Amino acid sequence: MWGRVRGGGGFGLAARLLGMAARPHGGAQGRTHGRARSKQELFSTSSVLSKDKDKSAASKDSTHEGAAKRKEDGAETPKQQLLDIIGNMKVEVSYKKKLQQLKASESKKQATKKRESLDIEGSVPQGITEDTQRGKPLNPELVKAASAVASSLPCNKKQTVSELLAQLRRHEETTDKQKKGGTINIRNVISEMTVKRQSPAQRGARIFGRISLQLDEDGQRIRRERSSALSMDSRRSLKVGKRLNIFTKASTEQEHALETVSSPTIWDLEFAKEVAAVTAQPPRNGFEEMIQWTKEGILWEFPIDNEVGMDDDAEFHEHIFLEKHLEGFPKEGPIRHFMELVICGLSKNPYLSVKQKVEHIEWFQKYFEEKKELLQEI
Amino acid sequence: MAARRVAGGCWQRALWLGLGRRCRLPGGRDGYRSSSSSSALEKTVDNSQVTQEIVLPRRKTWDKLAVLQTLASTVNRDPTAAHYMFQDDPFLMPRNAASARLYSLSKESGRNAAKYIIKNFPQYFDKTFAEPNVPCLMPESLKPQTEGVSEEALRERIHLRMVKESVDMFDQLLQAGTPVSLETTNSLLDLLCFYGGGEPTPEKEQEEKEDLEEPGVNASEQKAPKRQFQRDSQSSGPRWRENNHAERIFKIMPERNAHSYCTMICGMVKHGAYSKAYDMYIDLLNERHKADVHTFNALIRAVPYLKERFAERWELAKEFLTHMAQQKVQPTLLTFNSVLKSLRRCGGVGRAMSLLVLKEMEALDIEPSLASYDHLLAMFYKGADAQSSDIISEVLNEVEKRSFTAQDPDDADFFITAMQVCCDLKDIKLAYQLNKALEKGDNWKFLDVDRLNGYWSKFFSLLCMMEQIEVVLKWYKEMSSSLFYPSPKNILDLLQALDAANQLEVIPSVWEDVKQLGFSRRQDLLEEFLCLMSRDQHPSEIQLAFAKCAEEIKAVHEPAGLGQLPLEWTGSALGHAVVLFSRAGRTQDAWNMMEHFQKISRIPTDKVMDEFLNCAKQTNCPDEAIKMVKLAASLGLMSSQRLKSRIEEEFELSETQKKALESIKWDGDSSDSDSDSDRE
Repeated sequence: MWGRVRGGGGFGLAARLLGMAARPHGGAQGRTHGRARSKQELFSTSSVLSKDKDKSAASKDSTHEGAAKRKEDGAETPKQQLLDIIGNMKVEVSYKKKLQQLKASESKKQATKKRESLDIEGSVPQGITEDTQRGKPLNPELVKAASAVASSLPCNKKQTVSELLAQLRRHEETTDKQKKGGTINIRNVISEMTVKRQSPAQRGARIFGRISLQLDEDGQRIRRERSSALSMDSRRSLKVGKRLNIFTKASTEQEHALETVSSPTIWDLEFAKEVAAVTAQPPRNGFEEMIQWTKEGILWEFPIDNEVGMDDDAEFHEHIFLEKHLEGFPKEGPIRHFMELVICGLSKNPYLSVKQKVEHIEWFQKYFEEKKELLQEI
Repeated sequence: MAARRVAGGCWQRALWLGLGRRCRLPGGRDGYRSSSSSSALEKTVDNSQVTQEIVLPRRKTWDKLAVLQTLASTVNRDPTAAHYMFQDDPFLMPRNAASARLYSLSKESGRNAAKYIIKNFPQYFDKTFAEPNVPCLMPESLKPQTEGVSEEALRERIHLRMVKESVDMFDQLLQAGTPVSLETTNSLLDLLCFYGGGEPTPEKEQEEKEDLEEPGVNASEQKAPKRQFQRDSQSSGPRWRENNHAERIFKIMPERNAHSYCTMICGMVKHGAYSKAYDMYIDLLNERHKADVHTFNALIRAVPYLKERFAERWELAKEFLTHMAQQKVQPTLLTFNSVLKSLRRCGGVGRAMSLLVLKEMEALDIEPSLASYDHLLAMFYKGADAQSSDIISEVLNEVEKRSFTAQDPDDADFFITAMQVCCDLKDIKLAYQLNKALEKGDNWKFLDVDRLNGYWSKFFSLLCMMEQIEVVLKWYKEMSSSLFYPSPKNILDLLQALDAANQLEVIPSVWEDVKQLGFSRRQDLLEEFLCLMSRDQHPSEIQLAFAKCAEEIKAVHEPAGLGQLPLEWTGSALGHAVVLFSRAGRTQDAWNMMEHFQKISRIPTDKVMDEFLNCAKQTNCPDEAIKMVKLAASLGLMSSQRLKSRIEEEFELSETQKKALESIKWDGDSSDSDSDSDRE
């Protein structure tokens, strides 16, 4: 039983899930040998089927083919319709969502399964068909698998879609009820019953849960259910879980107000040093050493700038090109010539600021203005 | 300086060209340089103006480090060279981790010694040669400028961190009846609390000196021992003494504000007076003051020392957090890191709660730092019960996405903890992922020299365990000596990996490295080498190389220089050596080794003796063979008879040799009879 179910698990994720769901069931059923065989068939078939379905998530045709192979001719049409319905459902939900649903329903599955097996054990033995029907509505894969098996059995050829759907709905109701109220009780029963058998299966489920916990928000509701139902251990992930709910987010202005008030104390200074020391590593090459020296102020800064140390904000061209200050002078003549020589000298003088140079030119302008009459006399 | 400037001029021109073409950011000056280029630029600008307005900066100001940073980013690690800091002096190239540590510490301590001289004798350093002046090379003025007793002078002494002088000055002021302002008293309290109550011991002064040094100048390898020192001093019992200056001054303060309480609490926590700190906090609450966030952080860090049981610890930490919320103190990253750090000492409770804390951080938009992850990993992977790798892989996925800057002193521990976890989980994929994260951005800076060695040594052991031998050897070639110095355990791991991959022919080169690393006197390593080399028969060239290694190993066991005691042979090592020499056909060497058996009174195994005989036969040395039988007989071995008959069969013996063999026979008989009698 184990080997076969697990073998099915190798085919695909969904199939593995089914395998896991089947495990505890199988464990309990091991006691009632007569029934175990038919169940086993059911699960091995289902895993094969779901493998097919996994392969062709987009095109469900192959699923139908796979299913059809196992069907007898009479029941084909209603079966296909049902599969179509289920298949459409599949297409609508995203793959991620599907996984989450699987994951969420897995605990329910276990619960229902367990109770079923209890029922079966305790109550009047039912027919194989009913047995398989009871397992169906747990999830679509099971439905599909069960219908396939049922159709393959000679006495159940005439099963119709409506019957199946009615069955499905009824079981949905029961699972919902259990989800709301009785889950914990049932879980207790289960845990008491199959301590040893369940622990590896649960671990597997936990691992799977961790994998899928990082999925999108669609599954939030389910996650919450899970976390309440399962023990603390299953929530070992950074992405899920509650917060402490102690603090509320502060507005940025408040923070700024706080920051500006306090002046750095010795604590702050030393802490800053300590933090800086964490990443202060010795230089790995000559350039890094030069960076360090530059920061310390030992090295001349790169790119070397010939305006370093010049305090006035004037730029280089203002120092060099001084013709624009000669507008007040005559356009030609000895004064112009003289002034051109003056600005030529000034432009080469690095020791004067621009302001001083302009003042210098203005002095000449004033001087020539004052002497204008004299000059004109000459 | 002049030469530098000229070179710089070239630089500048090159940069301008690059700037104009690539960045399309013509500075004001660029237009004046060449009209053609500026018109070309205008065209490009015209084109782009169609889509959006581009504001041309009048001038591009360069970061003074930009050029150097670009250049530095072009330099990769040289896998054949030691770290840059060792390249000054080829004589001082470290050979192993211990010498690397010693040399780097020496270098730094030399620097510190120079600084100490400059600091203590500033009068000899009054000339400024550099133009412009380089302040960091000049002595700082640590003499207080203000004379006399006044609050001004007190403030200056506090600023210069002169603990004792400040306290004396404060007392003098009080005796003189001059009131000291609350602000000044608080900063005095800060000083006293930071240095643990202000009883200046030589130890403390030393620490103070170190603290005074600028972090930038003080390269980091110095930090590791310093941190260790601080840790030690913290763990060596509470240094906060009853009624120290801080407490005394606190008591006589006429009025106290929240800051006075807070700094007292921080000081008490820092110096191990945890329950006092808690009492102080209760006082603060009674006085209806509010604590600041640093105080809460300190208190939360003190939680494990305040309560015994895990659940109580968590309750107390939660209480502090609730108080913070009540007092409207916004938590910082450090608050949550403190919580996580305390949770590390809360066992299972910590594991469960840490995730809630992380969620709270997320809700408050506080990004976890490496320290947060470090605490988390330490909690989840404590001991051997770590099985699942989901937490660490989630953490690594987060770390991969971000680049980190140091925010918490504990940040530095992350990478080494994570690598330890990878090793415990034996998960090579995670280790690769972690290593990728380490290589990203400036993350490498979180590993100082010591941690770097630990990290790589762990990584290398994991590689040896899990990887293909080709990959291991590639890593080995790239890492060893340039990135880290393999430990003896790493070498053992490597040998095991070689053994597992059946690549024993690499052993001679590993032996060369071992000699380089200075592990040639490690008995366990030598044993492993000899054992692996002698286990199987190899092609003759490899056997020759092995024999060479064996000879070197033999040399270690022989008295060499003065003061170096030779290693003691062990029986198995001797046997391996004999086998190695025999297989290489070095009969004489093998015989020399054989003789050692008698000296250390050990017995060679049959395999060893057979190998030796084979060798003697191949090289046609019946004399040695006979000597061996003699030796076996004298040791009273039962196999001596068998060996003798082998010799008689396989060797062509001369008459004298036959006689010699016969003469042994008597010894052998006696020993045989001895053993026979033993048997009976």
